[in-house]
Amino acid sequence: MGNLVLNGATSGATTLTPTDAVTITATFPSLGGTVMVSGNMPAFSAYNNANQTITTGTYTKVTCNTKEFDTNSNYDNATNYRFTPTVAGYYQINGQISIFAGSGFTRGIIVFYKNGSQFKFGNDITTGNVNGGRYIASSLIYCNGSTDYIEMYCYIVGSGTLILSTNGAADNFFQASMVRAA
Amino acid sequence: MTLFEKIMALYPSLTQQDFLTVITLQNDSNGAGDYIKEWNHPTLVKPTQEQLK
Repeated sequence: MGNLVLNGATSGATTLTPTDAVTITATFPSLGGTVMVSGNMPAFSAYNNANQTITTGTYTKVTCNTKEFDTNSNYDNATNYRFTPTVAGYYQINGQISIFAGSGFTRGIIVFYKNGSQFKFGNDITTGNVNGGRYIASSLIYCNGSTDYIEMYCYIVGSGTLILSTNGAADNFFQASMVRAA
Repeated sequence: MTLFEKIMALYPSLTQQDFLTVITLQNDSNGAGDYIKEWNHPTLVKPTQEQLK
């Protein structure tokens, strides 16, 4: 069994040496396939840079309107606040909300919507009457790379004025990253 | 008065759990405000627009 040597353009070389202990088959894409590398695997992170008032007992879309990064321009931070990846695959979706209530806050949940319908719920924490707290959600969701889109909603219960309070990128954020192609 | 408060005033027997299971109020943050997305309560009928004014 021999080695595969890849010579550099001007100098140096990379040698791939197979082991004798096992047989490993590396399958490359067909002629029209795409090799997934970091450069074509979409990822974004956005946050809400302004306070957002929430009505108790009402699923409300979180308006993350400021991008930290959006490698493939797949996140709409101006109108629909949704992630529509243009590469089919499995995406790790993360979200956090930071709730502030003068008093009487009792419950908070993040819900990821897929194509306009509730799809994955985050932790559902009920508390005594407190001033607020931070809540997170995380999920792995398949998107078809064309029509599928993901949005982040929150469900908050409390009395008085309920606010997603902003502290820059640290508080209310919505993120996604491709973890593998379809 | 919010949509949630109007519905609770009409049906005081509703609980918070009802709004997580059989009734869905939603706001798409598009300027249209709160609305009833789903109403699947087994005994209480969906309020009319007139009742919610």
